[in-house]
Amino acid sequence: MEPVDLLRSVELFEGLTTEELEAIGAICGRDTFQSGDIITREGKAGHRLFIVYEGFVEITRQSRKPNSKPQAVVNLGKGQIFGEMALVDLGPRSATVRAVSASTELFIINRDAFLNLCDHNHHLGYIVMRNIAADLSFKLRHRNLVAR
Amino acid sequence: MADIYKISYVVLGREHPGAILNADHRPQVGERVKLGKEEFVVDEIVDLIPTRGIFHYLHATLRSIEA
Repeated sequence: MEPVDLLRSVELFEGLTTEELEAIGAICGRDTFQSGDIITREGKAGHRLFIVYEGFVEITRQSRKPNSKPQAVVNLGKGQIFGEMALVDLGPRSATVRAVSASTELFIINRDAFLNLCDHNHHLGYIVMRNIAADLSFKLRHRNLVAR
Repeated sequence: MADIYKISYVVLGREHPGAILNADHRPQVGERVKLGKEEFVVDEIVDLIPTRGIFHYLHATLRSIEA
C-alpha cells in the first residue's frame, strides 16, 4: 500500500485531499515497539501524537489511592490515536501508554511540524482538529459505556 | 478504499477497560474477537453514531469465552 493510502485509512485524516495527505506523510515518522515497551509516561512532557498502525497499546493511569497499582483505562488497536491531548493543550501526558502486542507499529507526528502545517494550510488544520475532537468524543462515549 | 469499522468494545461481567479499534468488517453476534492476548465472543452490536465517509462507528458488548 502506498503511504498516502495508509494515511487515508486513518480516521484522523478523513476529509483531506491527496495533496494534504502527502504533506502529512512528509512530517510523519514510523516506529515499532515490542510488548512491554513504554511509549509515553503519565505526567511527563510530550510533543508527539501517535497513530496505531498495527498492534495494541494499553492506556493506564495512576490512582490517587496510596500504594495502588496503575489502572487500565482502555486498550487501543489499529487506526486509533493517542497523545493528542498534549498536541492540543501542550500539557503533560495524561496517561502511560505501553505496547501490549509483539510488534506494535506506530505513525508519529511531531507537534511543531504539525502546527506549522496547520498554520500554512487552514483547511488541513480545520479537518484534522475536527477529527481529533470527534475522536475525543468517541473515547468519552466508550468510557460512558464501560462505566454503565 | 474499503469501508472501515471503528468499534468500541466493552467486556461484560468483569473488570476490563474495553478497547477501541478499527476493523475491516462489521462484527457479527457470536463472532470471536481477540483484544491483545485475550479472546472474547460478541454478544451485541449496535451503531453508535452516524457513518462519516468510509468510517462506521459501532459499539459491541463482549463476554469471556467459557472454559
